[in-house]
Formats: sequence, C-alpha cells, structure tokens
Amino acid sequence: MRLNRRQFMTTTAATGAALGAPALLRAQPTDYVFAASLPLTGPFATAGQLIAPVLGMFEALANEDGGIGGVPIRVIAEDSGYVPANALANYQRALATEDNLVYYFGDSTGFMKLVAPELTGENARLMGSTSFASELADPATNPYQYLPGPSYEDQFDILLRQIADEGGRTVAFIHANSEFGRDPIAHGRATAEELGLRVVLEESTRDQGADIPTHVTKLAQSGAEYCLLQGYVTGVWPQLIGGARQFGLPTRFMGTFWGMENFIADRVTEEAGPFLDGYSGVMPYKYFYDDDRGPAYDRFAAFQAVNFAGTPLENYLPTWGLQAIFSMQIGLEALRRVADQGLELTAENAAEALVDLQDWDTGGFFGVNVSMVDNKIGTGRVYSYSTESLLFTPTSDWFTV
Amino acid sequence: MITGNLKTSYAADEQVFDNPWKRAFLIFCLLGLAAVAVFANDYVILIACQMGITLLAVTGVNVVTGYTGLLSLGHAAFVAVGAYTTVIFHSLAAPLIPAALTTVLAIPVAVAVSALVGVVVGLPSLRVKGLYLAVATLSANFIVIFLIELEVMSPWTGGMVGIDTPSPNLFGWELDTRREQFVIIAALAILGLLAAQNLFRTRVGRAFIAIRDRDYSAEILGIALYRYKLMSFAISAAYCGLAGALFAYFYARILPEQFELELSLMLVAAIIVGGMGRTMGPVFGVIIIVMLPEAIKVLFGAFSDGGAEAAQFLAPVQEIAFGALIVLFLLFEPFGLTQVADRALRTLNRWPFARG
Repeated sequence: MRLNRRQFMTTTAATGAALGAPALLRAQPTDYVFAASLPLTGPFATAGQLIAPVLGMFEALANEDGGIGGVPIRVIAEDSGYVPANALANYQRALATEDNLVYYFGDSTGFMKLVAPELTGENARLMGSTSFASELADPATNPYQYLPGPSYEDQFDILLRQIADEGGRTVAFIHANSEFGRDPIAHGRATAEELGLRVVLEESTRDQGADIPTHVTKLAQSGAEYCLLQGYVTGVWPQLIGGARQFGLPTRFMGTFWGMENFIADRVTEEAGPFLDGYSGVMPYKYFYDDDRGPAYDRFAAFQAVNFAGTPLENYLPTWGLQAIFSMQIGLEALRRVADQGLELTAENAAEALVDLQDWDTGGFFGVNVSMVDNKIGTGRVYSYSTESLLFTPTSDWFTV
Repeated sequence: MITGNLKTSYAADEQVFDNPWKRAFLIFCLLGLAAVAVFANDYVILIACQMGITLLAVTGVNVVTGYTGLLSLGHAAFVAVGAYTTVIFHSLAAPLIPAALTTVLAIPVAVAVSALVGVVVGLPSLRVKGLYLAVATLSANFIVIFLIELEVMSPWTGGMVGIDTPSPNLFGWELDTRREQFVIIAALAILGLLAAQNLFRTRVGRAFIAIRDRDYSAEILGIALYRYKLMSFAISAAYCGLAGALFAYFYARILPEQFELELSLMLVAAIIVGGMGRTMGPVFGVIIIVMLPEAIKVLFGAFSDGGAEAAQFLAPVQEIAFGALIVLFLLFEPFGLTQVADRALRTLNRWPFARG
C-alpha cells in the first residue's frame, strides 16, 4: 500500500499520539507526597498528638485549592518519638517508598541538623520543621531548610529590647539543658550587654521533672527583675513561675514560641491558680481566637467544626498546629510557584522559590504581609496572658526583625 | 544418619562452625549481606548500617555483662568517646596527616581512647558488683555527656549543638555513600563477632567466664580479679569505641543527645533479649531492638493509608506491640533468641532424633 503525504502525516500523528499519550500521563503523577515525622510518643507526644489531625486538615484544604498545579497532595506521617535518628530513618523510608515525595516536615532541631548535610542531589527535599533554631536559618549551609517564623535568637532579641524599653536593668535566663534550651543563650547574653542589661543568672534545668525549688531559690538570690524561659513545651515553665510566685518573687517571666500555648496556660490556671497572670512572650502568628483573624483561620474553623467535633480541636487550633500548618503552607506555596513556572518540583527549584516569598499575604497567620529573608520569616508580636480572660492578648504591634 | 556432632580430630573439635548447618547458616548470612549491599534501597541500607554499628556496641556490652557478669549501664559513654575522639582526631590531624590515612589512624585511636576510659569507669568493679556496679557505671553517661557539652570543649565537640563529622577515607577511597559505608560496617561487625567468639576460647575469655560464674572461686584458681575485670571493661569499651567511630562516620552530624542513658539501656536490653554470654546474642538482640520497631512500622503502615490521623493512633499501638513482644520473649524464652536459634539448628542437625 502506498501512502500519500496527507495519509503519511495523519498516520504519523496518530501513532505519535497513541505512543506519546501514556508517556504524558506518566509524567503527571497521581499525587505529590508531603511526609512528616511527628513526636507522637515520647516527651513531646502531647504536641505531636495535637498536630497530627491538623496535617489531615492541611491536606484536605490544599487539595480543595487544586493541590500543586492540579495534582492533589497526600500527607503521610510517622512517629519519631522525638529521637533524631528515628526521624532520619522515617525520612529515608519516605524517600525509598514514595516516588513523588516533594516535601518533608521534621520534628526537631536535632533531626534538622542531622539530616542537613545529607540533603544533596536526589536525596534533597524542601524541608520545614517545628524548629526555630537559629543555626537552621542559613541559606548558605541549609538551602532547603527554613524557619516558619523568627529564630529563637530573634525572639530573645525582641524580648530583651522590650525589657530595655520598659526600663529593666537585670534579667535571668532559665533554660532547659538541651540544644533547644541553649539555642539563644549566648546570643541573648551579647544582646543584653549591648542593651545595657545585666544577666544576673543563667540557670540550666532538666527539660522534664526539673528541681523547681532549687532553681527558684537561685532566681530569688539573683534578684532578677525579668526572667526569660527557653526550651520548654508543656512542663517546667509553669512550675517555675508557680514556684516563684509561691516564693513571693515579683520577677516578670517571658517565653518564646513553644512556651506560649494558650491551652497549657489555661490548664495550669485551672489546676493550680492564677499565677501565670502577666506572663508574656513572642508569638509569630495570631492566636486562633484573635478578633482580627483572617480568611485562613476562618477556613480552618469551618473545617474543624465539622471534622473535629467532640475533640479539643473543634473550636480551637493550638499554636503548635498553626506552626505546623503554616510551615507546610510555605512549602506548598513555594512548590506551587515552581509548578506554575513549569519547572520540576526539585528541592533546588523549591529553594529558589522560597527566596521569592516576599511581601506575601499569608491569609491571616500574621497581621502584616511577610517576607522570607535568610530562610526565615522574622515577623511576630508580643502577647501577654491574662488569668481573667484566660487568653494571650497582644501587647505590641507586629514587628519584623 | 547424624546422631550428634562426632569429632574425629582435634582440628574438627576446635572449629567455630562445627556442623554443616552452622556453616550453611553462616554462608546464608554472608550472601544475605552481599545482597543487601547490592540490591537494597537507601532505607534498608540505613537500617542495616544502624544494626551493624549497634551490633558492635552490644557485643562490647556482652563481653562485660554477658561473659564477665559485670552489669554496666554506662556503655553509651564509650560509644560517645569513640565518636567524638574520631571527630577530634580528624580536626587535629587534618594539617599533619594525609587524608587517605586519617581514617585508618582515627579508628584505632578512638578504640584505644575508649578502652582507656573503660578502664577508668571499670575501677569501681574492683569494689562493688551487681546493681551497685550498675549505678556506679551509670555515672559515666552523665560525666561524659557533661564534658562533651561544656562550653570550653565546644571548639572540639561542638558542645550542646553537636558537630559535623568527616567522611571516612580509606587509602584514598572516600566512602561518601551509605552503601559504601555499609560494606565497611558489615565487615567490621563480622570481624568483631568472630573476635568475640574466639576471645572466649582463650585463657582471657575463660577467665572472664570464671569470674562471672563465681568470682572468689576464680580468684582461688589463680585468676587475678582486678586485672581481668579491668581487661574486660577495656575490651568492652574498645568495641563500643569502634561502634562510636563508625557512628561518627555514618551520621553527618553527631549530637550529645544521641549518647544519653537511653542508648545504654538499649544496649543492655538488646543483650538481654538476644541472649547474654552467647556470641549470637548481640545479633539477635539487635534484630529485635533495632529492626523490629521498623518492621512493626512497615507492617502497620501496610494496613493504613500512611496518613497523619492513622499514625496518631498507630504510634502508641506500635510502642505497645514492641513492648509486649519483648515481654513475651522474656516470658517464654528467658535465654533469648539465641536459644531459639540453637534449638532450630540442633533439630536440623540431628533430625529426626532431636526435635527442639
């Protein structure tokens, strides 16, 4: 049989389409995977257990918005027990079993540091985490890792400046004897000196089951007007403040992100009395109950009312959950921008898209538009707890460091 | 028909693998390791490397606890000493020694320093034993971690925030992938096991066993208790030091929190469930302690969608399942998995006369 030119062109096109269509279909994955390690057991299980359902909400809402370039995302999570080596194994398992893994959420500073040198070539993925460790905010050494708010050092700077503005002269640092606890201490010491504040006590405690009377006695002996707490989540910080109040100390206590959960403060107030009144600290995000919350929080609230009815998450989203969901939101936004440019969703392209997150409207996590600078978003404000309203309420305007 | 392991020469009697089933088991294991090195994905390699490193440390614990009868809860300290000595040696030796030789020198130095620390930590064993010794050795964990975290030590140890580790380089062969490192870790783990097996066929090893069985009887028989107890601690710590050196090369960064009491307890737990005072005890112990939790995770993962909400409920169940399995092992096989393996091999060897 002889083919004329038109028949030849038609046949070629049809054959090409028949052979090429499956390849095109293959190029478009059925989903993109966001994986996470969470401390679902171990010392920070309380936080991990509250964060876990929030990841499901993130998946549902991200897919309502079209996933990434029309491809749905799938969120998977595994327990780490807050052990960095376990989280590393989880990450490797996700890399080995999920062909379309595009993002990873880590559960600790330790894990982020352990995995950072390994994020090269095909093993690299864009990575957010629960950590605000200052060392991670360095695009030169950790291009694929970022902080979803100000670093602990930034948070200490903000608190120390506030103390200086209020005319304070002496400050104590009480911190957990862990990497998390010690992160901003040296930097805080230097900032205090710059601001003319005298650091009269640097006290290290266990991160759980600390010897409260001893630490409180040392605080009393130091005569500090202010005390900055670092490295605690659910325990120690309330007991320290309670012990100080029982001792009759007038010291003003301040904390950083992980010591600012309203749910914990309420529980302490309910069980032990109103001694947390006036406790303040830095919070990068609006609390879920803030009057001026934006559309993102309204959307979460609607989802939670339906899907989390009868659980502690029905009417409230803890700051820990906000941090996790915002951290993943940053990754999603960066990956969407990569997809919009028609590029492959590699860690390298995503890291470049991170830098482009400038003057970004987050939908209400912050009261202002925010920018990613040096792989961190250095925006937040100071909140103070009231035992009458049982709420943390803002005592400063939004600032960016 | 085989009715027992009948030996017709002294050479046959001295064989470590004294029947064909044991030799077949060894060959099967070696082939398995070779298959892992060639075919396994990065995740399996990671877990296999973790098992190899832990195996060496558990073998060390087995020397002092299983064979010499001295309970120690401070062996994580020796792993830490090995790991940090390796990193410090690299930083100090970098300008003086060619890169191709640094690793082959760093590992023996790490082993030697750990052995020395082992002797110091073992000193209380001269006066106390049992639980009292366990408490005395416990302090080694805290002292070593305290020293590592000291600010004055931070230029060498990285202090609280940890320190990046070098890649191993064997005579110019840079082992910068996990797969390459697995080959070295597996080889050293096998050599370590064989060395332990042979140690207990020597005068020194038999002295350890005599001390374990009744220390004053051993002394009456002419065994210098002080010397052999300290030697046991030194050998044990040396194994842990080797594990620490490999740990430092394997992970891109080491943190003090990786060497805390939890690791010491894990090493002791591994030897208990594996089988104390048996060469294969550490192997089975490591399978249970390191591999089983991962296997449970994979198994549970197969029955869920992998989502966060499923993980929320499955994570505590996995912990319970792991704990229950350990309890069941201790209840039904108090001599550890080694005993199960022994029975299986004996049954195969003497079939149909021995059936477990």
